[in-house]
Amino acid sequence: MAAAAAGINKQGAVATMEPCVRHGRGANGSTVKVLECGVCEDVFSLQGDKVPRLLLCGHTVCHDCLTRLPLHGRAVRCPFDRQVTELGDSGVWGLKKNFALLELLERLQNGATNQSGMAEDALKGMGECIIRCDEDESHTASMYCTVCATHLCAECSQLTHSTRTLAKHRRVPLADKPHEKTLCPQHQVHAIEFVCLEEACQSGPLMCCVCKEYGKHQGHKHAVLETEANQIRASILDMAHCIRTFTEEVSEYSRKLVGIVQQIEGGEQIVEDGVGMAHTEHVPGTAESARSCVRAYFADLHETLCRQEEMALSVVDAHVRERLIWLRQQQEDMTILLSQVSTACLHCEKTLQQDDCRVVLAKQEINCLLETLQKQQHQFTELADHIQLDAGIPVTFTKDNRVHIGPKMEIRVVTLGLDGAGKTTILFKLKQDEFMQPIPTIGFNVETVEYKNLKFTIWDVGGKHKLRPLWKHYYLNTQAVVFVIDSCHRDRLMEAHSELAKLLTEKELRDALLLIFANKQDVPGAVSVEEMTELLSLHKLCCGRSWHIQGCDARSGMGLHEGLDWLSRQLVAAGVLDVA
Amino acid sequence: RGLKFVARKFTGRCELQRICYNNKHGARRTLKIGRRLLHLHSIHPDKVEKTIDDIMALKKINPDTNPQLSISLQASLFQIVGYRNLVAEVEKLRKEPYDCENSEHEDMLMKLWKELRPDTPLSGRISKQWCEIGFQGSDPKTDFRGMGLLGLHNLLYFAEHDKATALQMLHDSLQPKHKYMNKSEWEQKNIDKAIGYSFAIVGINITDLAYSLLVSGALKTHLYNVAPEMPSLLHFQQTFCYLMQEFHRFWIEEDPSDIMEFNRVRSKFHRRILRQLKNPDMALCPHFSASDLHLVNL
Repeated sequence: MAAAAAGINKQGAVATMEPCVRHGRGANGSTVKVLECGVCEDVFSLQGDKVPRLLLCGHTVCHDCLTRLPLHGRAVRCPFDRQVTELGDSGVWGLKKNFALLELLERLQNGATNQSGMAEDALKGMGECIIRCDEDESHTASMYCTVCATHLCAECSQLTHSTRTLAKHRRVPLADKPHEKTLCPQHQVHAIEFVCLEEACQSGPLMCCVCKEYGKHQGHKHAVLETEANQIRASILDMAHCIRTFTEEVSEYSRKLVGIVQQIEGGEQIVEDGVGMAHTEHVPGTAESARSCVRAYFADLHETLCRQEEMALSVVDAHVRERLIWLRQQQEDMTILLSQVSTACLHCEKTLQQDDCRVVLAKQEINCLLETLQKQQHQFTELADHIQLDAGIPVTFTKDNRVHIGPKMEIRVVTLGLDGAGKTTILFKLKQDEFMQPIPTIGFNVETVEYKNLKFTIWDVGGKHKLRPLWKHYYLNTQAVVFVIDSCHRDRLMEAHSELAKLLTEKELRDALLLIFANKQDVPGAVSVEEMTELLSLHKLCCGRSWHIQGCDARSGMGLHEGLDWLSRQLVAAGVLDVA
Repeated sequence: RGLKFVARKFTGRCELQRICYNNKHGARRTLKIGRRLLHLHSIHPDKVEKTIDDIMALKKINPDTNPQLSISLQASLFQIVGYRNLVAEVEKLRKEPYDCENSEHEDMLMKLWKELRPDTPLSGRISKQWCEIGFQGSDPKTDFRGMGLLGLHNLLYFAEHDKATALQMLHDSLQPKHKYMNKSEWEQKNIDKAIGYSFAIVGINITDLAYSLLVSGALKTHLYNVAPEMPSLLHFQQTFCYLMQEFHRFWIEEDPSDIMEFNRVRSKFHRRILRQLKNPDMALCPHFSASDLHLVNL
C-alpha cells in the first residue's frame, strides 16, 4: 500500500521537493536539513507534527500546516495551486503520508550517520552475535571445546581434534558453552567468586577470595557471586515480564484506538449470515449514525413545520371563508334593501302624480311604507355601527406556531409573591397607570391589561401565608407566572426563594414562562437585580425554563412594560410584534 | 323655576321652608337642603348661625313667626358641614402611615393585641403571633399600608367597644364552619374550607369599604340620620362596627367555598349596603351587646 501510494504520488512529491532540496544545498549546513515544508519552511520529520502529507493535487505540506489551513466545509485548499482536497471524518489525519518522501528522508539521515564512523559500531554489533571459528576466520563457530577453550566450526572441530588424545576433548554446542570464570583484576590467578554488599563498594562490588580475606573488601558483607547473579537474573526476568505486560497494554490500547477509529468511520466488514456464508457488509460508523440522526431530526422538524403551516393556512382559510360569506350575505341584504327602498320611492312618486282624491286615499299606505322605511333605516344604522369595515386580517403567531387572527391575543398570567411584595400595586399601575397604596388582598383581584396586540388577563392572588396553598387553583392554563419580590426586604428573600422553588416544582407550571419582578427598586438600599439573581441562585433554580428577572418600581411604573415586553416576546413568535 | 314661583305664591313659604316643614328631620331633610344649598358646603362651622340669618334676611322670612325653621336649618347645615369635616379627618388618618418610631402608634397596636388576646402575652413586637389575629406577616406594619392609621383606629375601636362580636369573629375566623357542621362532615369537606378569613386584614378591607362609602357620599343617609348635629369620627367608627357585624353574618350566609371568593362576597355586600343606603330612613346602627353598651353611650 505504502509503495503504491509512493508510486502514484512520486511525481507530486518530486515537484514539491524541488525548491526545498535546492534550498537545502544552498544552505550547505547540516546535511540532514534538506527537505522542508513549502509553507512553514520547517524540516519534515518521520513522524509527529512535521510529517509530510499529500494533497489530492500532488503537493506535500507538513501535518502542522495542514491543520492550520482554513476549512471549506469538509475540504481544504492547496496553498500552492488552490485545488480542493476533501477530508474524511478524521480530518487531516486521514490524508496519506508522502511515503516516497519519508523513504528519501530516512535514507538521507542514514547516509549522514554512516559517514561519521558508523561502520565500526556496526561491525562490533555483528561480532557480538556471530562468533568466528578460531581456526579459520571465515568460518562461523558452532561448537566449543571445553578443554582447549576454543570456538570451532564443525569442520575445523573434525580437523583439529582428529588425534586420539584430542578426540577425547569434550566439545559442546556453542549454546551450552560454560560461562567463563572472570579473573580478579588485582589477583590474576583467582577467579571472582563473591560480591560485596557494602553501600560504599557498589561501584566495584566484585571480589575474589583474596580480596575478601585480605584485600580491599576485608571484613565487608558479601554474597556468593552465582546466587547474586541468579537473583539479579530473576529480577530482570520479573522486569521483563512487567515490560511485556506493559507492552501488551499499550498495544491493546492502540488496537482499541484503531477499533474506535474504525467504529467512527465505519466501513466494510465480513459478516457470517445465518447459513454460515461469509459476505461483506457495510457497517455504518458512529459518524454516519450521528449524521443520520441530525438529518432525521431536521426532517422531523421540517415535517412538523409543514404540518403547522398547513394548519395555520387552514385556519386563515376558514376565517376568510367565514368572513366572505358573511360579507356577501350583507351585500345581498343591502341589495334587497336598496330595491325595497327604490320600490317605495317609485310608489311615492306615482302617488304624487295622482289626483287629490287618490293621494288622500293613499295616505294610510304611504304612512305604512314610511314606517317600514324608518324601521329599516334604524336597523341599517345599528348594523353599520357593528360592522368593522376593515379589510385587514391581523395575524399573530404563538410560540408554538399556531396562528391567531384578531386584533388581540389573549394571555393568562398569574401574579404571585409574598404578602406586601407589591402584586396588587403593579396590577393597578398597569391597569390604570396610577399609583395607589392598596389594602392587603384577601382572595384575588383579576384585571385585563392590554399591551401592544396582547391582552393579558392578570390574576393577582393574595400573598398571605394562609393563601399560598390556594395558589395552585390559579395555575391551570396559565401561560406565565409573574413572581413579585420586595427588593428592599432582605430578610424575607429566603422566604421568597423557598416559595419560588416550590412553585417551580409544580407540574401545571412546567411550561409556564416565569417573569420575576424585583419590585421597589426606587427604595434606597434595595437589592439590585444582579444581586438578587445571585442571592436566589436563579440560574440554578430556573434551569431549563424561560425566565427573566426585571427590576421595577410600581410607584413610577419603571420596568413594568419592559417585563410585559419580555412576556410578549416569549409568547409571540419573533418579529411578528413589530409587523403587527 | 316657574313652578317654584307658583308654589311660593301659593303656600306663602319659600323652598327651604317647604323642605323643612314637609320632611321630618334626618337624612330626608338634610339631603334635600344639601342639594338646594350646594354653595354652602364649604362654610366654616362657626359661621353657620350668621349664614342662617343671612338666608332668613334674603328670603324675607320673619324669624319670630318661623322659629322652627331657623333651628332645623341650623341642624341640617351643621350636619352638612360636619360631614365634610369628617371626610377630611378620615382622609388625614388614612394618609398617616403607621410609624414604628411613634410610641402612640405602638401603644395602640399593643392594646389591640391585649383586647383580642387577653390571655396570651405577645412574645415580641415582631412575632409570628400576629398571624393569629389575622395579620399577614410577623410585622403588622406592612398591612397598614393602604388604610394607614385609620385601619388601626377602627380595629381598636371595634375590639374595645364591641368586644363580644370581635372575639366571636376572631374565633370563627380561626375555626371556620366548625360549629355549623359535625366532625365527619367537616373532614369530608375540602381542606380549603379550613382556611377561614383573617380577622385583621378583613378589618382593614372593611375599613376600605367604609372609607369608600364615606367618600362617595353614600354614608350621608346614615350619618344624617344618626348624628343630630355634626357627625364625628365616633360615628364613623360605629358604622365600621356595624359593617363588621353585618359582613360576618353575610359571609356565613353566603357560605363561600373558600377565601378566594372574598372579593366576590365583598362586592356583593357592598352593593347590598349601597342599596340599603338609598332608603333615606336607613341607619346602619350596630347592635352592641348590653355589656358594651355603656361604653358606646359615653
